[in-house]
Formats: sequence, C-alpha cells, structure tokens
Amino acid sequence: MPPRADLLPGTLDLLILKAVSLGALHGYAVLLRIEQMTGGALLVEQGALYPALARLEHQGLLESEWGVSENNRRAKFYRLTAAGRRRLKEETAGWEALAAAMSAALKARAGEA
Amino acid sequence: MLSRLSSWARGVFRRDRLETDLAEEMEAHLEMRAEHWRAQGLSTEEAARRARLEFGGLDRYKDECRQARGLRLLDELRSDTRYALRQMRRAPVFTAVAVTTLALAIGANTAIFSLVEAVLLKTLPVARPGELRELQWTSRRWKAVAKNYDGAGRGNAAKEVVAWSFAVPVFAYVRDHSASFSDLFSFGGITRVSVSAGGHAELAKGQLVSGQFFRGLGLDAALGRTLGPADDGPAAPAVVVVSDAFWRRAFGGDPGVVGRTIHVNTAPVTIVGVTPRGFLGVKPGDAVDLMVPMAQLRIFDEPADSLEDAGRWWVRVMGRLRPGVPTEQARVETETLVHQAIVPAGPANEYEPPRVDLNDGGRGIDTARWAFETPLRVMMAATGAILLVACANIAGLLLMRGAARQREIAMRAALGAGRARLVRQVLTESTLLAVLGGGLGVLVAYALRQVIPVALRPVANPIDLDMEPRVFLFAFSTLACLLTGVACGLVPALRATRVGAKLALTRPVAGRAEGPRRLGGGRTLVAFQVAVSLVLLVAGGLFVRTMVNLRTQAMGFQPERLLVFQMNATLNGYAEDRLDDFYRQVIERVGALPGVRTVTCSRYGIPDQGATRFGVKATRDDGTTSEGKAYVHYVAPRYFETMGVPLRAGRDVSWTDGRSASRVALVNQALARQYFAGASPVGRRVELEGKSAEVIGLVGDVKFYTRETPLPTVYVPYPQSSQRSMTFAVKTSAEPSVLAGSIRAALAALDPDVPIYALRTQEEQIDLAIRQARVFAHLVSGVAVLALLLACLGIYGTLAYSVVRRTTEIGVRMALGADRPRVVLMVLRESLVPVLAGLAAGLVVALAGSRVLSAMLFGVEPNDARTLLGSAALLLATALLAAWLPSRRASRVEPMSALRCE
Repeated sequence: MPPRADLLPGTLDLLILKAVSLGALHGYAVLLRIEQMTGGALLVEQGALYPALARLEHQGLLESEWGVSENNRRAKFYRLTAAGRRRLKEETAGWEALAAAMSAALKARAGEA
Repeated sequence: MLSRLSSWARGVFRRDRLETDLAEEMEAHLEMRAEHWRAQGLSTEEAARRARLEFGGLDRYKDECRQARGLRLLDELRSDTRYALRQMRRAPVFTAVAVTTLALAIGANTAIFSLVEAVLLKTLPVARPGELRELQWTSRRWKAVAKNYDGAGRGNAAKEVVAWSFAVPVFAYVRDHSASFSDLFSFGGITRVSVSAGGHAELAKGQLVSGQFFRGLGLDAALGRTLGPADDGPAAPAVVVVSDAFWRRAFGGDPGVVGRTIHVNTAPVTIVGVTPRGFLGVKPGDAVDLMVPMAQLRIFDEPADSLEDAGRWWVRVMGRLRPGVPTEQARVETETLVHQAIVPAGPANEYEPPRVDLNDGGRGIDTARWAFETPLRVMMAATGAILLVACANIAGLLLMRGAARQREIAMRAALGAGRARLVRQVLTESTLLAVLGGGLGVLVAYALRQVIPVALRPVANPIDLDMEPRVFLFAFSTLACLLTGVACGLVPALRATRVGAKLALTRPVAGRAEGPRRLGGGRTLVAFQVAVSLVLLVAGGLFVRTMVNLRTQAMGFQPERLLVFQMNATLNGYAEDRLDDFYRQVIERVGALPGVRTVTCSRYGIPDQGATRFGVKATRDDGTTSEGKAYVHYVAPRYFETMGVPLRAGRDVSWTDGRSASRVALVNQALARQYFAGASPVGRRVELEGKSAEVIGLVGDVKFYTRETPLPTVYVPYPQSSQRSMTFAVKTSAEPSVLAGSIRAALAALDPDVPIYALRTQEEQIDLAIRQARVFAHLVSGVAVLALLLACLGIYGTLAYSVVRRTTEIGVRMALGADRPRVVLMVLRESLVPVLAGLAAGLVVALAGSRVLSAMLFGVEPNDARTLLGSAALLLATALLAAWLPSRRASRVEPMSALRCE
C-alpha cells in the first residue's frame, strides 16, 4: 500500500469538486476517481466522503439525482452546479498559488534571499 | 443561501425520504466495494467485511451527513421538546399554574396590544397610505387668519394655536395650484343625520366630502361607484355613498341597493355605491355611515355660503403626495399657497402668514388618537407589568425546579452534555410553557376583543374599530411568547447548569444544610414581584377610589326612576313654532302613558352630554353689573320637578314663556352667589347673547360634568332660543326601563320619520359618563389582585422549597434546643427580607409614578397616604400568610427523622 497522507482541511472538498467536474458520478465512483487522480496517495476513510458530499450539496455546489450505475444498480449521482464550477476554479487557483509558494519556500537554500 | 434553505427544508419536511436515501446511498457504496473485493478473489463474507471496515463508522457518517444538512439542531430540539413534555406531565400542578399565569398575562397583553394597533398604529385601508398627508396650520394670531373657525384646535407650548380646519376657498386654491400633491381633498366634521330608508328611521353618522375624496384616498367602491368631482357640482343630483356597516344594517346587505333613494334629513338622496368592508372613514374610532358630496351641504344644515365664505374655516384637508416629492418641499409650497389664498380675502391687520405642517395622514386624522393615548398607555403599562410579574413568578418556580433537578442535570453533564446543550434544554421547557400559555392567551384576547373597545370610550358613543384579528397580532403574541419563554428560563437555566458535574454527584443534594444565600436569585425575584404588585395595587386603589368618588358624589339631582332619550326633529325639517310644538307634543304624548309621572325636556342631557358656557352679564339692584361665563341650559316646564332639582325661590318656566313672550330665566345658587353676592336674584335681570331676561326663579346647583364642581348656570325656556336636538326625561312611578316600548310606540304614531336615540335610564347615563373610570378601576385593580396572587405564590413557593432544603439544618437546630415558635420566626424573618425590600422599592416607584395618573383621578391625590399605606399593608398581610404555611411546616420537623435523612 502506498504511504498515507493526511488530508489538509478543505482538500477533500476540492478533490470531490474536481472529481465530478468531468461528469456526473455516484459516491463510490467519486472515491475511485480520487484514488486514480491522486495515484492512491491521498486516502480517506471511505465513509467520510458522504458528509462531504452532503455538505457540498447543502451549499449548492453539487446537485444530485438518482440513476443507474454501470452494473445496473440504483445509485445517487452527483453533478457540479454553476456555483460549484466557479468555486472549483477559485479554489484551484488559490491552491496552485499556495502550492507554488510552499514549494518555492521549501526549496529555498541558505544564501538565497 | 436559497439552496441551503431548500435543502434544509427538504430535510425537515421530507425527513423519511432523506433517511432512506442516505441509507440506500451508503448501502450501494458498500455493495459496490464488496463486489470489487470479490472480483479480487475474496469470499463473499470477507469482501463485505473488508468493505465495511474501509467505510468506517456507518452511523457516525450518517449523523455527520444530517449535521451537514443542518438537521442536528432540529433533532435535538425535537428530543428536548419530548423531554420537556415529559417533565410537564410529571408536574401537572406546576404546569397548570404556569400555563394559566402565562395565558392570562399574554392574553391581556395581546388584547391591549390589539387595541393599540387598531387605534394608534393601524393605517387606513386605502392605496399607498404612506403618501397621504394632512394639512395643519399654526399661528399666534389665529383669529386674524380664520375669522370664523369651526373645528378642532389646540394650544401648544409656544402659546400658538394649532388648527386643522381650512376655508373651502383656501382649500380650492391650494388644490388648483399645488404641484406637490397629485390629489388634494377635503371633508367636514362627522355629524348625526336622520335617515329614513324603507320605512325605517334611524340616526346615522354623515360626512360631507369633496369630489376628490375617494380618488385621493385611492379607494374603490365594493358595490356601485364612489363619488367623483362631477358629483360635487352645484347642479349635480344629490347622491350618497354608504358604508358597508350601514348597508348591512339598513338594507341587510341587499346587492340591489345601488340606485335606491333614501331620505337624509328629509332630503331625497340616491345611493350610488357602498365602500369596502374595512373602511370606516378617515377618523379612527369614529365610523362614518354616509358620505355626501360637499355641494349638498344644505342637507347637513351647513350655512349655504360655506363653500364660498373665505372667513369660515370648517373643512379638513388631506392630500396625496406625488411620488418622489420630499415632504419639506411640499410643505413650503403649501404654506406659500395657503398664504396666497388668504390674502385676497382681505386678512385682518394683525395677520401673519400661518405656518403650515404636513402630518402623516396614512393612519387617518390625528385628533382621535389623543383621547385614547393616555388610557391606552395606562392599560399597556398595567398589562405589561402583569407579564413581568408572571415571568418573574415562573422564573422563580423554574429556579426551584432547577435546583431540585441538580443531580439529574449533573448526571447529564457527566455523560457528556455540554452546558449550552443543557441550557437549551431548560429553555425549551420554559418556551414550551410560554407557547402553551400564549396559545390560550390568544383565545383569551380573542374573547376580549369586542369588550375592550366598548369599555374604553369615555362618552356614550361606542368606539368603532376594525378589531378583526390580524397576522401582525399573531406575530406580536408569538414574539411575546418566545421572549417570555427566554426571560423565564434563562436565569434558572444558567444557574441550574452552573453546578460542576463532579460536585453535584459526590454530595447529596437534598437535606444538605444550606444558607439562604443559595436561593439568592429566588429572593430577588420575590422582591421584584412584591414591588410590581405594590405599584399595581396603588394604581388600582387610586382608580377604585376615583370610581367610587364619581359614582357617589352628589350630582344635584335625583337619577332614580328616570328614563332619558333624545330626538332631533330639526333634521326632519321641523323649525321654529312647528319645532317647539313638536317637542311639546312629545311631552304630552309620553306624559299620557300609564306609569309616567312627569315628562320634560332639555337641550342637553346630564352628565357629560354637552352644555357649553356663554358670556352673561348680571345687573344688580344698585345698577352695577358683573360679567362672566355661565352654562346656559334650555329647558321645558317641570324640568326641575322631573329631575329632582330643588326650586329655592320664584317659579318654574311655563308654556306661556314662548317664543314671542318676554324673556325669562332661572339661575342656580352658584350664579346667585357669584353675581348677586348671595342676595335673592328673583326679579333682577341677566343678559345673555346680548338679550336681557328677567330672573324668575332660583334653583339648586347641578353638575353638568362629573368632574366639575357646579358652576354658575342660567336656565332658559327652550322656545326662547333656537334648538336642535332635545333630551327628554321621564319620571316613572315604577322601574323605568319597562316603559321604553310604549314610548317608542307613542312617538312612532306622532311622526315615524323622527328617530329616537340614546334611550336609557338616567342611572345608565351616569354609568356611561364614568365608564372610563370604571374600566380603569376594574382593570387595574383586577390586574393588581392577580399580581398579588402571583407574588404570594412566588413567596410561598420559594419559602416552601427553602424549608424542604433546610430540613436537616432545622432538625439540628431543634435538636440543639430551638423551640417551635423560634423556628417559625426564623423562617418568617427570612421570608420578610425580600418582601420588605420589594415594598420599599415599590413605594418609591409608586410615589414617583402615580403623578402620571393625576389627570385621570377624581377626589383623590396621586400620593394619597391611605391608598399607599393600605396597599402596602394588604400586601404585607398577604405575604405573611403565604410565608406562614411553609414556616409552620418547618416547625413540625421531627429532629430525629430530619437527621436520618442525611
């Protein structure tokens, strides 16, 4: 198993938004997509996904609909709303800025200003 | 925001759906994961186990999902409510007391508030009432502005006169030139008119209105049409718009009423429309039945040139501001226009342009509100105070229950309930009590809604208000309930939950020796209740004494076995000799009825039925004169005999003292004292309205107004002056009210078109005159007694609880030799401290506050020592009684059993 990294606060929400940005997914598929996107590096207890989905839906960033999964099972599909898409854009920009700053900071060596 | 609300609402209202969705969604996840593991070669059981393991705590995540949707608070509220209901069922007496207390308190407050709303706050049911303004003018030399002013006015602090009536030409000029108002309209005063419609005659309230009245108000007819400018022309036919109330009363709500002709003051008038139901006119509290165009002023007995006479200021003016025009701009423009309108009329030398103000007209004209403002404030204060006492009382009871439940609360705290959670739980309980009480209270208020306005009006006419319950009121009651709930519960909740979990569990609660300090909060509440109760008792006492003084004072006449009623034949076209003769015939016809001893009539009824003072000049024997004011009262023969006013000297008026006979008058003793220095006035002369009359008799003093001392009065035979309405008085040999039917029948035979009104016994008439005082006496003393009972309950409860808690201590004291009387004294002393503190505070407040009432009192000073001390003594005695019961119980404590409790 790959090493586990604890999720920073807010990262799970961002990952979910990213995961469903390419099309509607049910909960389990969101999990798989996140695993795939992060190369399995970021793992959460699987149940923790659902409160996050509920929270995002409550905030109006996601909308949900019951549908049928690839193996003919009833499942709830989540889709990004317009507000969710905006949020994803903002958060991504914010995250990239932070990541760039962090990695620059961490690469700094003595002598460099 | 919207998405949250709708998602929350889905959660609240479709809760079952949400729960099954949640379960199904997670179930699907688990199955798909298990499938994944099975595909990896694990057994079915092992795959399912692995899936569950990876998922984590199913219930925990479900709960987090609910929480994410904002539903946890609701769940807790639900369980708190269930818990509170269980607690309430467990203590039914406490619950009943608390709910009843709150029902009375909230009910009384809602009822009074509904009245405040109807009288003081409610806007007219017209289009955009916020745009309406009423014109008002202020002047130091108002006589120079309005030569002949007819309408309401008042003086202000700057010694100016504030007035609301305008001359019609002034109104017309402003209307035609104003750029700020889209519509400007005027109306006369509300007058009584005689109406006969379909063989039925009655006295109704009519008002002359200008052609723009309805357009300016933005009011459409419910039936037919309203009046327009075309109806207000000199050649327009006589038409009328009637009120919904009149339409229902006189025509039984017949939809075919439009086009019917009725007779208003004998003139035929055609009904063109009916106003909508909630519209009672523009004067709050005084509903209008008939609205007639100004041009028909002759029907209303207005002087014929009232529309052209620039010197006669008699109409009130309202207007609708154009949208976006600032009030100040409109005011300045109107002020200029009013000045311009006056100047061509040739103002007097001392004339200064009056200042014009624009009052808010959205709630109707202002004057009606003054009369009710003080009484309403007093009632609001009294009912507000009772709500405070009720809150304090329930807070005290909850405080004690909180103390008794310390162990339970400590247990819950130990099991992990946060303090906020515990406080919320106690608050849920008190709010639930308040909501239950409030619900009952609204029913109480609903029952009272027709009673209070009738009781409030100081004179005989009922006050006309639209008292239908409104959403606004329910909002008020709901708010009152919630505030009450929080106010009652907060202190007890904080106090009860302050105790540390460990502390309360490790030591026994009941039976522990504890000083009175432990109940500090309860004692403060008792002191507070005592103080408020005392203030209410003092106010109630003052009002009761006012009522008794008014009812028992000598009025100067005998009200027993007298029946009074009024007629106004001038409205039916009777005048001069025919009018005198009509009234004489009424007297003769009624006098011939069996059971009638004497009949008479007079211009005004007594008491409080009108009568104004005029200038009189009395000429003494030596030729010197003295001038002053006196009531002038117009009477028929046998007036003094019928009313039981003693004739001290000379003779009564007789039918021979007619219109053309030499002028005669009787005077009362007050006049004789003041103008004739006590010498007999008979045979001397008095001059009134510029005409000299011989004094033919001297009579006893009569009070025309209940709150005045008798003033100089001149009695004139009624045919010797012009008359309008007459008040008839019938002295009967038996119970007077039984004659009402035969009187009506006899007079219908005389002229069925002249209505009889205000038929009642003289004693009812007096009761009506002092009705406001009676209402205050009953209401405030009732509220005070309620407060007293509540305070006693508080004292009793606090003390009884303290005795239970101190059983051990008392046992120890008794074991150490304290005897029973000493224990009783000790407990009583303890209870007396907050009572005395409350009494002292209450006395200070009562002394300072009762001055506000002085204008409403009669024959008693606001700082009346007897009332103050009497109230304090009553309160102290009741408090002692309430304290005595628990202290007696304390003295019965058996030392041994008390010690065994530990």
